[in-house]
Amino acid sequence: MSHLLDRLNFLKSKEVERFSDGHGQVTNESRDWEDTYRNRWRHDKVVRSTHGVNCTGSCSWKIYVKSGIVTWETQQTDYPRTRADLPNHEPRGCARGASYSWYLYSANRVKNPLVRGRLMKVWRKMRQTMGPIEAWTAIQNDPILRASYVETRGKGGFVRATWDEATEITAAANAYTAKTYGPDRVFGFSPIPAMSMISYAAGSRYLSLLGGVCMSFYDWYCDLPPASPMTWGEQTDVPESADWYNAGYLLLWGSNVPQTRTPDAHFYTEARYKGTKSAVICPDYSEAAKFGDVWLNAKQGTDAALAMAFGHVILREFHLDRQCAYFEDYTRRYSDFPMLVRLERKNGHYVPGRFLRADDLDGKLGEENNPEWKTVAFDEVSKGLVAPNGSIGYRWGEDGEWNLEERAQDADTNLKMSLILEEDHDDVVGVDFPYFGGQAFGQFATDIDHPEVLTRNIPVKKIKAGKGEVLVATVFDLFAANYGLDRGLGGHWVTSDYADDMPGTPAWAEKITGVSADKIIHVAREFADNAEKTQGKSMIIIGAAMNHWFHMDMNYRGVINMLVMCGCVGQSGGGWAHYVGQEKLRPQTGWQPLAFALDWGRPPRHMNSTSAWYAHTDQWRYETLTASEILSPTAPEGDWDISLIDYNIRAERMGWLPSAPQLKTNPLEVVKAAKAADKEVPAYIVENLKSGDLEMSCEDPDDPANWPRNLFVWRSNLLGSSGKGHEYFLKHLLGADHGVMGKDVGEEGRTLPKEAKWHEEAPRGKLDLLVTIDFRMSTTAVYSDIVLPTASWYEKDDLNTSDMHPFIHPLQAAVDPAYESRSDWEIFKSIARKFQEIVPGYLGKETDVVALPILHDTPAEIAQDQVKDWKKGECDLIPGKTAPAYVPVERDYTAIYDRFTALGPLMDKLGNGGKGISWNTQDEVDNLAALNGVQRDGAAAGRPKIETAIDACEVVLMLAPETNGEVAVKAWESLEKATGREHAHLAAGEHHNKIRFRDIAAQPRKIISSPTWSGIESEKVSYNAGYTNVHELIPWRTLSGRQQLYQDHLWMRAFGEGFMSYRPPVDLKTITADVQDEGDSLVLNFITPHQKWGIHSTYTDNLLMLTLNRGGPVIWVSENDAKSAGIVDNDWVELYNTNGALTARAVVSQRIKDGTTFMYHAQEKIVNTPGSEKTGHRGGIHNSVTRAVPKPTHMIGGYAQQSYGFNYYGTVGSNRDEFVVVRKMKKVDWLDAEKAWTAPAKEAAE
Amino acid sequence: MDRTLKALSLVLSYPTRELQGAMAEVGAVLASDTRLTAAARRDLRPLIGEMEADDIYDLEERYVMLFDRSRTLSLNLFEHVHGESRDRGGAMVSLVETYREGGFDPATSELPDHLPVLLEFLATRPWAEARAVLADAAHIFEALNERLVRRESAYASVFAALVQLSEASIDRQAVAELMAQPDVDPADLEALDEVWEEAEVRFGPDPGAGCPQAREMLARMDALATPAPHSAAE
Repeated sequence: MSHLLDRLNFLKSKEVERFSDGHGQVTNESRDWEDTYRNRWRHDKVVRSTHGVNCTGSCSWKIYVKSGIVTWETQQTDYPRTRADLPNHEPRGCARGASYSWYLYSANRVKNPLVRGRLMKVWRKMRQTMGPIEAWTAIQNDPILRASYVETRGKGGFVRATWDEATEITAAANAYTAKTYGPDRVFGFSPIPAMSMISYAAGSRYLSLLGGVCMSFYDWYCDLPPASPMTWGEQTDVPESADWYNAGYLLLWGSNVPQTRTPDAHFYTEARYKGTKSAVICPDYSEAAKFGDVWLNAKQGTDAALAMAFGHVILREFHLDRQCAYFEDYTRRYSDFPMLVRLERKNGHYVPGRFLRADDLDGKLGEENNPEWKTVAFDEVSKGLVAPNGSIGYRWGEDGEWNLEERAQDADTNLKMSLILEEDHDDVVGVDFPYFGGQAFGQFATDIDHPEVLTRNIPVKKIKAGKGEVLVATVFDLFAANYGLDRGLGGHWVTSDYADDMPGTPAWAEKITGVSADKIIHVAREFADNAEKTQGKSMIIIGAAMNHWFHMDMNYRGVINMLVMCGCVGQSGGGWAHYVGQEKLRPQTGWQPLAFALDWGRPPRHMNSTSAWYAHTDQWRYETLTASEILSPTAPEGDWDISLIDYNIRAERMGWLPSAPQLKTNPLEVVKAAKAADKEVPAYIVENLKSGDLEMSCEDPDDPANWPRNLFVWRSNLLGSSGKGHEYFLKHLLGADHGVMGKDVGEEGRTLPKEAKWHEEAPRGKLDLLVTIDFRMSTTAVYSDIVLPTASWYEKDDLNTSDMHPFIHPLQAAVDPAYESRSDWEIFKSIARKFQEIVPGYLGKETDVVALPILHDTPAEIAQDQVKDWKKGECDLIPGKTAPAYVPVERDYTAIYDRFTALGPLMDKLGNGGKGISWNTQDEVDNLAALNGVQRDGAAAGRPKIETAIDACEVVLMLAPETNGEVAVKAWESLEKATGREHAHLAAGEHHNKIRFRDIAAQPRKIISSPTWSGIESEKVSYNAGYTNVHELIPWRTLSGRQQLYQDHLWMRAFGEGFMSYRPPVDLKTITADVQDEGDSLVLNFITPHQKWGIHSTYTDNLLMLTLNRGGPVIWVSENDAKSAGIVDNDWVELYNTNGALTARAVVSQRIKDGTTFMYHAQEKIVNTPGSEKTGHRGGIHNSVTRAVPKPTHMIGGYAQQSYGFNYYGTVGSNRDEFVVVRKMKKVDWLDAEKAWTAPAKEAAE
Repeated sequence: MDRTLKALSLVLSYPTRELQGAMAEVGAVLASDTRLTAAARRDLRPLIGEMEADDIYDLEERYVMLFDRSRTLSLNLFEHVHGESRDRGGAMVSLVETYREGGFDPATSELPDHLPVLLEFLATRPWAEARAVLADAAHIFEALNERLVRRESAYASVFAALVQLSEASIDRQAVAELMAQPDVDPADLEALDEVWEEAEVRFGPDPGAGCPQAREMLARMDALATPAPHSAAE
C-alpha cells in the first residue's frame, strides 16, 4: 500500500521530526537540563601535573581548572609509545592519585603560617624592644621562656602568623644557632627528591648555603639495601617496569606489585599473558600471591634460608654436576668468583680472610699504582697469578685499564674459577663458616641443632707472599662450600642429597621457612633453567618487606647471589628489581649543584639520618642488642665487645661515616682559632683532636653543645611516618609527652658504652625550634613550633622522575597556592631573604670547616685497606685518609638570598660531575645565563638567575646529561679515559637534544643515556641496571670491579657476613616482665607493609581513602592468634612493648600467618585514634613500638664500595624484628579534643 | 550594607587586635538588630565580651583549634555539603560566579565558601535574597551550633543567630545526617562500633537482594555526601 495519502509533500511540521524509519523523533521540549552536565564538566584549562609525595608511580595527570579552581583530574594518556612488541606505559595513575583534587580544598589544609601561641607571645613581646636575633637570643637564654613553648609541643595552641613574622623567627633562630653553636646544628630532613626535586632542592640549597645539615632519608626509611653497594658499588639501580615484560621468569619476593605498584602492575599482567611464568614469595596471601603460578608462603624473616636453598639447587644442577656454559662464562667475567681469598688460621682451622692483593706478592705483579687495591686470580693462559683489569686499584691514579676486558698486565687472560681439579690445588683444608641458625629464638627456633661453626673442606693453593707462604682459595670454591655442596673432597657439612638436614639444603630450609623442599627445588630449577635458555631473563622483583629486617643483607645477598649465578644482572628482562623508597632522580648530576649549592661552596654537609637520630633521640641509651649477640664465632681477634653507638663513634672518627654536629666547638670558632694560632685549619684540627682540646660531637651526644638546635622538616612526616622510635623523638628531641616505657641502660645497670659519654640524666627537649613545611596538619606539624603552609602538587612548578619509567615530566601550578600557602621554593627563598636582611652586623663573611667522610666514587675511597683507629694509636691522624677530611668553606651570611637566587661561580671553576666522572660545564652555565638572564645587583651580580622554580628546573635540565645531550656526550667521553674503551656511541646523535621545562609540560620526555647510570635508553632494550657493565665492560664500582659476592672487610668478617648465610631475626627484648601485663599472653612479630588506601600519592588522613578501608588504624591478625586472645574482627586492640603502645582495630583474617601481625605503614594518629590504656596518651603510630637499631657492618667506610655516600650506604633503621603484646582493649577513650583549646597551661612568661 | 550580617562575618573572622578594638561597635550593631530575638542577642554577649577582653593569643589559639583544625567545625561550608567529593570544585566555581554576578571579585586568600566571605557578600544583597541563601545553609548552621554547644564554646551563639535570622524551619533530618557520624559518645563502644561496622555479606536464597555493602554505599551517596566519617579532633 502506498504511503502517499499519509505523507505531507509540501509542508513540514514544526512539531516533530522523525528519522530512522520513525524510530527517532526530534522534540522541542526544553533541554536546559543538559546544561547541568555541560557545566559539571566545563573547564577553562587543562594543566599537566602529578602527585609528588613519594610515589614511584610518577604518573602524569591532567588537571582541569575552572575560574581558578581545580575541578577534577584525569590520567594523561600521551606518554610516548614504547617500541614495537612492548606494551605502552599508559594508563598510569591510581585511585589514590585520582582522589587528590578533593584533598586540595580539604579542611585539613594548613591555611596560614602557624606559630605556637606561647612562642608567638614572647616573641612579639621581645620584638617590641629588640631586634629579631636579639629577641631569639633572649628567649633561648631564659630557661623558663624556652620551656614555655617547648613543653606545649603536641598540645595544640597554634596562632596564625604573617609570613614576615614566621620567616623572621626562623631566620633569627638559624642565625643565632650558627653563631652560638655552629651552622652544623641546623638540621633539615626531606625525603625522596625525585618526586618533586625543586621543592627538595629549595630547602637543601638554603641549608647548604648556611652550612646546615641535609639529612639522608633512604637509609633511615630502611628502604636502602646495603647489599646493593656491597655487591655493585651502586645504590638501587633497577630495571624500569616495562622490562618486566621482557622477563621469562618473574619471581616476586616480598613485593606486592598489584597493591603498591598500581600504575606498573599492568606490565606484570601483560607479561603473564605473554607466557612469563611467575612465582610469588610472601608470608601472607597477598594480592600478588594471586598472580603466581606458585605461591611460596615462607615464614616472615626467614627469606635468607629460602634463598640459600635455591642457591644450593642452582649451584648443584647448573654449576657443579653440569656446567651451564652461559653461567660459567658470565660469572668468570662479571663476578668475583675467580678472585683469590687468603685463608687465615684461627683455632687450628682456617677462616676466609682478605682478598689476595697484588701488594701481597713479591714484585706486586708489576703493579706500582695502588697494588693493595688490585685483586688477584689464577690465569689459565699464563698459568700464573694476575691482577685482572677493572679492580678499583685501576680506577684511580691511572687511565685505560679500569675495564672488564679479559686482560691483565696488558695480556689476554682466562681466569680460573675453581681449584677443584687434582692438579690445580696443593692441599685440601678445613675452613670454618659461621652458622647463625642456632641463635633463632621463639617462633623462629625450628632448627637450632647445628653447631655455630661448620668446618668444610676447601681446595687451596699455597703461594709465596712476602716472607711466608699463604693458602689461597677461589671465591667460587668457598662460595660453593658455604652453600653446603659436596664436591667430593670429603669432610663434614656438605652433601649431595637435597633431603639431608644440613644447612643449605632444601630440606633444611623447609624446617625453617615452612616451604616444602619440593617447591623450593622446583622454583630454583625453573628460575635457572629459564635463565640458561634466555641468557639471563629471570628477574626478581623485591620489596621493602625483605629489607626491613635487621639482617636484611642476608636476604638481599641471597637473592643477588641467585641472579649472579644465573647471569641475570645486566641483561634485559633479568636482574634485581628493588622498588622501594629511593625513586630514581634521573637528572641527578644536574640537580646536585642546585640542591646542595655546589655552585657556591663545596662540600655540603650530609648526614646519615639513622646514626643521627639514634644518637640525638637517645635511642642508644635504651639499646637492648649487644655486639656480642651478633658477632661471628669466627671473628678475628679484636676489641669487639662494645656498644652499637661505640661502633658508630669509631666509624665517625675513622672517617667512615659523617658527623652532625661535627665538633663540640663551633666550626666558625675553630677556624678563627686556627687563624689566630697562624695554622692551616686542617693541621690545627688534627693537632687539637689528638691533644683532646677539640672533641668530636659524636662522643657526647647528650652534651648541650652537641644537640641539634633547629630542625626543618619538609615534604615529610618525620614524626608520623618514618620516625622509628617515635616515642623517643617525643621524649628526648622534642621534650613532649611520650609513651616510652622501657628503662635506659644506666637505670637497668647494664654495661655502659665505652666510647659514648654517659650522663645519668638524659636531656629532654633538645630542639630550640622545629619548623615543618607542609600543606596538611600532619603529626609532625602538630608537634612543631612553626608550621608553614606549602603549595600542593597542583600549585607549584617542579620536576618528577621515577625508576619505574624513563620519562621526566613536570608538576605545574594549575592554580595559585590556596589560602596563604607558597611553594617550597618560594618559602625557602623568603627565609633566605629574611636571613640576609636581619643578619648584617651579627654574622658576615665567615670561614666554616666541614668534616668530610671518605666518599665513595672519589679517589679517597681507597683510603683504608686495613682498619686502624688513630685514637688508639694504631695509626697517625691523617685527614681524608685515617679520619674525616677537614675542608674550609667560605660562607657569606650577608648574601644568602643573593646566592640562593643565582648560579654560583664554582660551576665555571670546578665543573660538574658525579659517580667519579667529571666534566667542564662552562657551555651550560653560559647557556643558562642566556636562557634565565643574569642577576643585575647584589653579591651574585652577573650570575645566571634562579629566581623562579621554573628557572631552577632549567638549571637541572641544562646541567644534567640525562636531559642535555651535549652534556651526555661529554660525560661518556670523560668515562672513556678511565676505561680506555669507546662509549660515546651511546649518546651519539643526542648532541643537540636539550630538554627544557616547556618541552616536558607539552609531553613526558624520555631521558638520554648517561654514564652516571648503568642502564641505557635505546630503541632496542628497556632500561635495566648493570647493562653497561655487561655490554660496555665498564667495571662495577667495587673493590674487585666485579659483582662482589664475597665481602672481605675486617668488620664484615667479624660479624660473619663475608658470605651470605641465614641469620634469624634478632631478639630485641622489648617484651620485658616489667612491661607485660598479667594475662596478656599474645605476643606477635610486628610487620609494617605498605597499604592500598594511602601513602605514596596521597595520605592516610584522606577520608575518602579511609572509608574504603576501616576508617582508622587497623592491624591484621590471624584467626588462630585472634581466638587465643579473645579478639574478634573489628575489636579495638592495643599493641605494646617497652618502646611504646598503639591502638587500632583488629582485622582478623586467614590471610595472615600465625605469629605475625601486620600494621600498614604510615597510618596517622591524628585521625580516629583513641587513647592508649597503657600510656594514657593518644594511641601512637606504627613506629611507637619500634626503635632504630644500627648494625656495625653498615658503618664500614673508606673501603672501595663500602665507602660513605649520601643515601648510598650507611646505617639503616630496620624495624621488622620487633615483637608486640596484642590485647583487646577494655574501653576506648578518645581523649576528646573538644576542650583542647583551653588546655595549654597559662605560661610562665606572664 | 546589612550591618548585622557584616558584624557576624567579622565575629567569625580570625581575631586580631583591630577586631578586638572594634568589638564594642560590632556588639552594638548586633544588640540593636530586632530581627534577632532578645534571647539571641543576649546569647551573643558573652562571645562579644570575650573577644573584646580576652588575651588575644588565647582567642587566636582557640580560633585555630576550632575552625582551622577541627574538620567538623570548618567554616568552609562545602566541607559540610560536599566533603571531599568531586562536586566541591564545581560548587565553588558556581559560588565565585555568583559573587561576580553580584559585582564583586573575591579579594582574599580564603576560598569562596568560607562563611565570613559569604556573609560579607550577603550583607551587600537585598535582605530577602540573603535570607534565602542563609535558609539553604540553615541545617549546617544548626549542626555547627550543636557541636559548639557541646564544646561549651561561646561561638555557638553566632550560629544560633544565623539560624534564627534565616527564619528557616530546620530540616531536622539534614541536621541529623550531619550530626550522625561525629556525634559519637567517645565512651560508648557500642555506638562507636556501629559507625564502623560493615554489613555482613550474605550469599543466600535471595540473590536479588544484591550486595548489602554496595546498597548501603549507594544509599549513602543518595543522601548527598555528608563529610565522610569523623576525625579524632571531633
